[in-house]
Amino acid sequence: MTRLFFLALAPLLLGGPALAQDHPGELPVDPYEVSNANAGADPLAGAAVYDAFGGHDGIERVVARLIVNIQADTRIEGIFRASDWVRLRRTLVEQFCYLLGGPCDYTGRDMTSVHTDHGITTAEFNALVENLQLAMEAEGIPFRSQNRLLALLAPMHGEVVTR
Amino acid sequence: MRIQLALLTAIALSTAAFSADVEVIVHTPDGAPVANAVVSVPGDLSAVPAPAEMPSMEQRDQQFNPFVLVVREGAEVVFPNRDRVRHHVYSFARGNRFELELYGREEERTVRFEVAGGVPIGCNIHDDMLAFIRVVDTPHAVVTDATGTARLTGISDGAQTVTVWHPYARGRNNLVTAEMADGQDRLEVVIDITAPD
Repeated sequence: MTRLFFLALAPLLLGGPALAQDHPGELPVDPYEVSNANAGADPLAGAAVYDAFGGHDGIERVVARLIVNIQADTRIEGIFRASDWVRLRRTLVEQFCYLLGGPCDYTGRDMTSVHTDHGITTAEFNALVENLQLAMEAEGIPFRSQNRLLALLAPMHGEVVTR
Repeated sequence: MRIQLALLTAIALSTAAFSADVEVIVHTPDGAPVANAVVSVPGDLSAVPAPAEMPSMEQRDQQFNPFVLVVREGAEVVFPNRDRVRHHVYSFARGNRFELELYGREEERTVRFEVAGGVPIGCNIHDDMLAFIRVVDTPHAVVTDATGTARLTGISDGAQTVTVWHPYARGRNNLVTAEMADGQDRLEVVIDITAPD
């Protein structure tokens, strides 16, 4: 009886919305529904740009350098001062990997939820883009591939900037 | 030993003779208790030592806490940001203007308030954040609790003028005054509140 009950329940559980999991080394977050739609753009078709970035390892290097750049940029480091860097790094890698056509799922929150309480200005948004460009340049990402990523991120301006 | 006790009793009695505790209850004309009203009577700031703990206007979950804080003229107030997002706290109050950019978990920054009066404070980033600091030139000032009650201690004997301030009180400078007779230890004050939209 019990087993039958669980068997009947299983498809419902599997079919329901996935909720965010805890990750080791990260601070707890309020529950939210996990979906690739949270990444804020449709991914590129094919893996050519993902490959041009050097795959997952290359994306990890770009994100690591981006974080170093942010932390040194007095225009925007204050916004991030109390950030969960472990989580930020993981979700940024997931987002870039997913958007560039790589074999990743994005498990972070949607762009509006993530940014709305930070009161981000257009100048601050642009400063982050600059830091990303410098990071991609330093990692030797081909210019055309850099622009493919920037073109995916630029329309998120409306969800990120609130002031 | 007995003499000591007698002496202590005498001191206690004499203190009681020169000061009193007073309970003030603030309510609306409908009888609803008014919390967050500042009840005060005049007094000499130098006669009563300032509280040992620095007054605090905390930001948590994108709200200020408390909603109304009363401090003495010249007091330094700490503005701890317990949130992970930054706040941009400001006031345009005359004599007490300030602006503080508080990054996430920045908990040490302070502001000194030099001029008696009401200081509305807001956040440039989070429009819903609102609180009030009431700066007073008396040591006898207490914020009413949820029952509309404020207990003032160590008040000098004699008739007193009680001042009640509330950010939304109708009246000049959001103030209402009431007279308290000599020896009276309980007073009800009626104020009319206009809640903002």
